[in-house]
Amino acid sequence: MISNKRLVLAHFWLAFAVFGLAILLGEWQMFIRSPLHGWLHNPDLYYRSVTAHGTVMGYVFPTLIAMGFGYAITELSLGQALIGRRWAWAGYVMIIVGSVAAVVPVALGLDSVLYTFYPPMIGNAFYYIGVVLVVLGSWIWVALMGINLQAWKRAHPGVAVPLPMFANVAAAYLWGWTAVGAALELLFQILPVALGFSNTINAGLARVLFSWTLHAIVYFWLMPAYIAFYTIVPRAIGGRLYSDTMARISFALFLVFSMPIGIHHLFADPQVGSGFKFIHSVFTAMVTVPTLLTVFTIGASVEIAARLRGGKGVFGWLKALPWDNPQMLALAFSFVMLGFGGAGGLINMSYQLDSTIHNTQWITGHFHLIFGGAVVIMYFAIAYDLWPHLTGRAMRDLGMIRMQLWLWFVGMIVTTFPWHYVGILGMPRRMAYYDYSAPGTSGEAISVIMSTMGGALLVVSAVLFLVILYRNHSASRVEPAPFTFSRAIHEPSSLPLALNGLGLWVGLMIALTITNYAYPIVQLMGLPDARVPAVFVGAK
Amino acid sequence: MAQTFSADSHDTAALSQRIEKRWALLMVSIIGLLVAVMIFTGLHWAMMPPSRVETIDPSTLHLSGEFVESNLGSAVEADGSVTVRVIGQQYSFTPQCLVVPAKTPIRFRVTSADVIHGMLITGTNINSMVEPGYISTFKTEFKQAGDHLMPCHEYCGAGHEAMWANVKVVDKDAFSKMAVNTRRLTCDL
Amino acid sequence: MNADRPRLISLRNPWFTASAGALSLLFVFSAWVGFVWLPSAQDDALFKGLLNAICSAAGAPRAWLGEASPPVPPKAPVSSVVLTPGMLEGASAGGSIGRGATLALRCTMCHGARGVSAANTPNLAGQYAPSIYKELRDFQSGARTSAIMVPMLAGLGDQDLRDLSAYYAALPRDSAPEMYPAPDIVATGSPMRNIAPCESCHGAMATKLGAPWLALQPREYLKSQLEAFAGGSRHNDISAQMRNIARNMTPDEINAAASYYTQNR
Repeated sequence: MISNKRLVLAHFWLAFAVFGLAILLGEWQMFIRSPLHGWLHNPDLYYRSVTAHGTVMGYVFPTLIAMGFGYAITELSLGQALIGRRWAWAGYVMIIVGSVAAVVPVALGLDSVLYTFYPPMIGNAFYYIGVVLVVLGSWIWVALMGINLQAWKRAHPGVAVPLPMFANVAAAYLWGWTAVGAALELLFQILPVALGFSNTINAGLARVLFSWTLHAIVYFWLMPAYIAFYTIVPRAIGGRLYSDTMARISFALFLVFSMPIGIHHLFADPQVGSGFKFIHSVFTAMVTVPTLLTVFTIGASVEIAARLRGGKGVFGWLKALPWDNPQMLALAFSFVMLGFGGAGGLINMSYQLDSTIHNTQWITGHFHLIFGGAVVIMYFAIAYDLWPHLTGRAMRDLGMIRMQLWLWFVGMIVTTFPWHYVGILGMPRRMAYYDYSAPGTSGEAISVIMSTMGGALLVVSAVLFLVILYRNHSASRVEPAPFTFSRAIHEPSSLPLALNGLGLWVGLMIALTITNYAYPIVQLMGLPDARVPAVFVGAK
Repeated sequence: MAQTFSADSHDTAALSQRIEKRWALLMVSIIGLLVAVMIFTGLHWAMMPPSRVETIDPSTLHLSGEFVESNLGSAVEADGSVTVRVIGQQYSFTPQCLVVPAKTPIRFRVTSADVIHGMLITGTNINSMVEPGYISTFKTEFKQAGDHLMPCHEYCGAGHEAMWANVKVVDKDAFSKMAVNTRRLTCDL
Repeated sequence: MNADRPRLISLRNPWFTASAGALSLLFVFSAWVGFVWLPSAQDDALFKGLLNAICSAAGAPRAWLGEASPPVPPKAPVSSVVLTPGMLEGASAGGSIGRGATLALRCTMCHGARGVSAANTPNLAGQYAPSIYKELRDFQSGARTSAIMVPMLAGLGDQDLRDLSAYYAALPRDSAPEMYPAPDIVATGSPMRNIAPCESCHGAMATKLGAPWLALQPREYLKSQLEAFAGGSRHNDISAQMRNIARNMTPDEINAAASYYTQNR
């Protein structure tokens, strides 16, 4: 039972509202730089749009989802009202204020620096301050998740922490620590220049600090989806979770391996030595382990559901699955996109293969497929599952829901596969327009048009999604059955200390951050030669 | 069918754990194999991303040192290899058109005069960030003659979309003839 | 120590020993490969020997050029101005506009009494101070040639140039009519010829340090300068920034760009 329904709904609705706006920007960007549109007469409009799209989709949208879902999980899995409700609202307000402070100067053209900041380009300070406020607001959530878990543990000594809360707090701690990198960059490098206290900045150091955030943030985006894999989908399709222990180990491994790998974004950078690049490459390989474990555990859980429904044979059980169930459909689509995206990711993480696709449209394709595809489709699924419990009204548009999920899946494939392809051809990302008539680039035109079409499908799907959620608020009232999470085949009666809390894993996460990041950061801090003049952007 | 799970709870738990362990071992082996491939290519072809750290002041590149304008482009070294020096700046590479010989060891020295740029050469695996304050040094060899595009691949400001350079790979002989008349070669107009 | 209560961080906790032990092994192994084994395949002198390899792989800054032919010096003088955001700041910054006004008396013949020229010379009113300063310095150093400007600047010191720049930057710009829509060459440039939109350095979209404000400059002046950049007779643009663009422009494009910025004056 959720007692703070308004808090959860407020987070979800704001998240989906900004998502709806940002996806329009995304599709506009794809359209205007495609051969379907002439060259934009003010290319800066494109870069403003990229900045806004990235800031909303990368920072605001997933953070709000994780927060709203986290508050719901706390109450549903622990069976206690949220401690710190007022603080939660304060965090929410900070995110709104921060988002507005960030997006207004971007719209005015004062901060076309993209959501990855890119010093020594420096824009108007309000953008950076806005982003800092969003992060601070989310840190309130991080603290609340930890506090609620501790309070519950004190009241229930010796009892196993419910898996959803274990995973949720893992996500919170992961975000709390991974956001530190970008926060250091913003507070100690960028803001002093943006506010006029300094004229120089070490761009190489800034990139290393940002990489601390940039990869682990992806796993933070991913966590709600994985929580849904483990704790919602098996229940929703009438199955059981194959292994509670494996689930905990997967989340623990995410905590450990998400952090010490960010330098794989900097393989092509001149300021990091080859030794650290290789170490990060190896650890990036390791971060696939929890995903591969998940694929097995969830695959087995789904098979259990099928066999419980009478499925037979080595593959015949697939037919017995409830394919008309949105959760089943979302999971299947998510896994397919995760599979393709993950395969592409293995190329990105490779110390040598990366050079064929670094910073090309391949990368854009990769993270849209993984995040926009595999992860966001599970955000939809989470919303569909929770909504009746939040509104107390029946979710009856099952046909529309299936249509929406299909559109998202097909749209994402059509959008991202051509992107991967043109990336291999060497098409750089983030350009306001391309000359498709040149001999070296004309082969890219048709692929880019296909991507744009796929993007249109995504917009239709997003609109449909918002309509479905909105219609639910005026559907007939029902008393939904009490919300439950998936049950494991073998529910844990007692757990080893390491799997009943996150202390060990947080400790290892911090330790590995030190081993893999401390030297590059300290060394670059000690290079006064590498401080370069700021280049201020924005019209004067 | 649900009762099958509770019947021999202890046995099925042990069984599922065994299967999981086997799966985990298999997955870790695959990862191990991938890492082994990386190590092999790193040793066998000496492949390494651009990682030779060196600093430089971007605001004084034009005053002295190896990145003065007259020293940019391709230089033939005593050992027959070629050093190519390039500056990235808003919104062009200088030189705009690189000319290099095929089948010759080539060493790139690239840096930025202002913001972060990047460079890739289409149809090759040459790909490097170009950052102010640092010099990117990397080695390569072009297998055959041909023309390539060299876009800036990192957002560098409102004119980023126009930052495209060209690379002409020419036969070794043709290159040697060109190198007779000038000490630094480019194919700029 | 209480032996009954299990402790998380303890050698008796197999979870701790296994995870910390495995991670330590993984780190040591990958560090050894990354810092010792892989560098051994590189032929650079700075990767030879254990200590060298480790320092290089760790990213300690070093001089990687090694054996190389000496730099080729420029044939003609190039700009010696160092453009940084704080280049015109300093102890003497205050009060220089007044001095600049006095010094500017010698400039009025060509550049107008209030920095707005009637002849084919640039309007200086409201021009960015760093841009004026850079050109003045380049005339002095010989990086930019002019039979008129070079003698005019003889005898002026660095502070004089700063004061002049500050004075002209402070004058109000000639009131501009609504600019008509920019032609393609100004608004979009031509990517494959590496012609960036003029506006991405000189205009409302973005302003690059050292790049001048071009609106309402005399048409003939703009045209002649673009042609001089294209032909290479003007070469005080740092690292060929402007020559790269101008030499790829067609005569028609040069005309179109010049006409746009003059607004057909």
